[in-house]
Amino acid sequence: MMQSLRRLCGVLPLGVFWLLPFAVGVVAVGLAGFDGMAWVALFLHPQFWPALALSIVTGSLSLVISTLLAFWIVAGLHGSTRLADFMGSFLSLPHLAFAIGFGFLIMPSGVFARIIGLLAGWSETPQWVTTQDPYGISLTAALVLKEVPFIVWLIAALLARTDIGEMLAKQFRVGQSLGHGGASIWLRIFIPQILPRLKWPLIVVWVYGASVVDMALAIGPTQPPTLAVIIWSDLNNVDQAINARGSVGALFLTAALGVIATLFQFVTSVSSIATRRFLVAGPSLSRAPRKPAFALLALFAAIYALVLGVLLIMSVGSQWPYPNLMPAQIRWAAWSQLVDSPAPLLTSLTFICCCVATALSLSVIWFETFTDRLDRYLLGLAVAALAIPSLLIADGQYLAFLQLGLNGTWFGVFLSTLTPVFAYVFIVMRGPYRAFDPRYRSVSLGLNASAFRFWAAVKLPLMKPVLAAAAAVGVGVSIAQYVPVQLVASGRLATLTTEAVTLSSGGNRPLLAVFSLMLAFVPLAAFLIAARLGK
Amino acid sequence: MTISKRSLMKAGLAAAWLPLFTRQGFAGDWTTIEAEARGQTVYFNAWAGSETINAYIAWVGQQVKARYAITLEHVKVSDTTEVVRRVRDEVKVGTAKGSADLVWINGENFRAMKADRLLFGPFASDLPNFKYVDVEGKPTTLFDFAESTEGLESPWGMAQLTFFGDGTKISDPPKSMEGLVAFAAANAGRVSYPAPPDFHGTTFVKQALLETIDDQGLLQMSAIKDIFVGESGPMFALLDRLHPHLWREGKQFPQSQAQVKQMLADGELLMALTFNPNEPANLVASGELPATTIAWQHADGTIGNTHFVAIPINSQAAAAAQVVANFLLSPEAQGRKADLKTWGDPTVLAMDKLSGDEAKFFSGGDVAGSVADPAPAIPEPHGSWVPLIEAAWLERYGA
Repeated sequence: MMQSLRRLCGVLPLGVFWLLPFAVGVVAVGLAGFDGMAWVALFLHPQFWPALALSIVTGSLSLVISTLLAFWIVAGLHGSTRLADFMGSFLSLPHLAFAIGFGFLIMPSGVFARIIGLLAGWSETPQWVTTQDPYGISLTAALVLKEVPFIVWLIAALLARTDIGEMLAKQFRVGQSLGHGGASIWLRIFIPQILPRLKWPLIVVWVYGASVVDMALAIGPTQPPTLAVIIWSDLNNVDQAINARGSVGALFLTAALGVIATLFQFVTSVSSIATRRFLVAGPSLSRAPRKPAFALLALFAAIYALVLGVLLIMSVGSQWPYPNLMPAQIRWAAWSQLVDSPAPLLTSLTFICCCVATALSLSVIWFETFTDRLDRYLLGLAVAALAIPSLLIADGQYLAFLQLGLNGTWFGVFLSTLTPVFAYVFIVMRGPYRAFDPRYRSVSLGLNASAFRFWAAVKLPLMKPVLAAAAAVGVGVSIAQYVPVQLVASGRLATLTTEAVTLSSGGNRPLLAVFSLMLAFVPLAAFLIAARLGK
Repeated sequence: MTISKRSLMKAGLAAAWLPLFTRQGFAGDWTTIEAEARGQTVYFNAWAGSETINAYIAWVGQQVKARYAITLEHVKVSDTTEVVRRVRDEVKVGTAKGSADLVWINGENFRAMKADRLLFGPFASDLPNFKYVDVEGKPTTLFDFAESTEGLESPWGMAQLTFFGDGTKISDPPKSMEGLVAFAAANAGRVSYPAPPDFHGTTFVKQALLETIDDQGLLQMSAIKDIFVGESGPMFALLDRLHPHLWREGKQFPQSQAQVKQMLADGELLMALTFNPNEPANLVASGELPATTIAWQHADGTIGNTHFVAIPINSQAAAAAQVVANFLLSPEAQGRKADLKTWGDPTVLAMDKLSGDEAKFFSGGDVAGSVADPAPAIPEPHGSWVPLIEAAWLERYGA
């Protein structure tokens, strides 16, 4: 009786705040799929097929390239313990802020063009096809630059796990004894073991790349744009029939990604015979590429530093035409505007605090009321919440919240932001939280401490680094939400991210730079605080 | 479904009562409305891509707070269609508590809201300051894209398609679409326009249609697809000749007017376009463009229209929204708006209807970046042409 009551308490808040909003979203958009006219309209859209191809290609290409580069870096720098921490600081920069800054670097009147122009003596801007190029190359590049740190961090986190780390260390020695060099060991032993464990995170990365809206609006192709952008503009159209086309478009994109993922799974299982021949070949003495890996890492660090640097200059430069390397005058107007009307910043911070606090509480309540046997169900749902394009979930939530009168309310936006935030926080926390040594509990209860006192006085302090790390991830996820906030807030609430997207289509560039910098600063601060608490 | 005569009659009778009901909320005199407005909060949904506009709206907020105890919240919108969609969805599910109280609107969005009965009113002609509006000289204050406003929206400002660039780089600006083709050919890759359905992009294409169509009068009537297909041939022929000379060979287009303007400021493009004839001068004044900036319109005239404010039918603060709309029409607010140092949006008022004191709010004078030879404003084609133009453009140049 007590047991089931406790479980009810454990699952009830989770149900209200997370499961239910997630479920009604999926159901509502599913119901919107029963609209034959909308499907016809979708397939008749003149840009449909090229846009779909662009979405799939940018998503897939960025995944493949970033996975390759990530393994290159991890293999080359194997043994460097600070790698995960170093990558984490890259990670905290939101995709949108990065895309905006990266755009300033590569566009025809951007920093690179000015430097080259200065050396080559160009009087006019070059006619480069960089940002918003028709093939989505700049979008892919920005995605790669953003995803590599994430994948490196994932691999590093996996290697840092004591069980896996020790096992791989032993296998490394075996491989060496049999005459395999570092590169061979990575290719033949490590990667085949690591990749399957990263299956779901990589799917999340891929789906994100293929369905991202804010980044594609800032730096993606325009004629045709990616399918996600078409869906997004359909969802925001005046015409009801076009809204419906947007909803079925989101369903189609999700289904298409699902089919491709399944096909890929099938192809890899069939081709395993072919890859086996490679796996058992050898030995090869070639070493893991330490110097190139280091150079690659340095290149990443340099690009990130340049992105932040150009955003800083942009935020204070009002008139900055080509070919000047520096703005004609320094003005602090955009910064003072942030101080004078801090509403977007404060709204973002409020959502961050509430979402992260709720996500942490829900996770802890779950861990404390349920045994780890049930974890995989919730884990499955959490992964689903991330592997389904946020475009689809948020559109469904908009449709459902319309009936409930939640659109345009603070609570509605909170719920739709919590959907991905809880999913990430739960996934990040689960491993380390469950790994807590049960003997602490036995000792505490033996000393006649109550279960709550044990949790508050013993477990919580020991779990502080885990909670801090999960909170930092939660901050990063929360601040970056664009699609759910824009749809559900109905214009009533503006966050740093929604304002930045509005500004990125033109207008006040210094203010855009200020918002982008704030987007970068808040998660970075959270990450640094978490790193400090983790010590 | 068959409609019986009887049910038609019933509907007719009900419709006859409708004006009485809808007018009820504001049939009272203006002081009642002002009293009711005190303490209300008006969510003003207005496009917010420009710092000067946002600053002006903030000033309006301070004024209505001080004068009428109304709180004005600027809901920053990047595309007004989002607002139309939201109001329609709210009304559909019967949300009485609408999220928008005042919307900056015109054209297609107005037509959609009017057609779906999403607007409060008629209220515009009952506003005390409406008497200053230049309805004779600026007929577009009553006809929004050839659609009668019927008092469902109150005029706010005037617009006319205008081009601008750096006078040191452009000696002889093109004064027609044909001239623009030649100009683009001579300056390959340095001219572009935003892709429709961006508002400015659609306007550019409409200007091309106006300059190539045999009978401009056709465009004042509701669009018919067959007529469009037949009459748009010369326009597409012109665009086909223009596009190869455009930025990225006309295969990619900027997303917005603001982006075109930014590309001009960065030096990527030679010219930009705007719907506000004072914007170039405004940009010079704010230091975003050099003082050598010139602005021009096509010699035979360019598309002009009026932009308005409207009140959604489910507004929670209709009284305060009317007070704000009235304040926006006051000579003081209109004069400040027309001032190049603040926004530079042309007024909807008639100067000859203002007293000497009221006219003092307007300080004219030629400044750097103002239009050299103002051309006549051609009324917008009826809004029903827009979907046809946009769809045909997308089909032809979108992929």
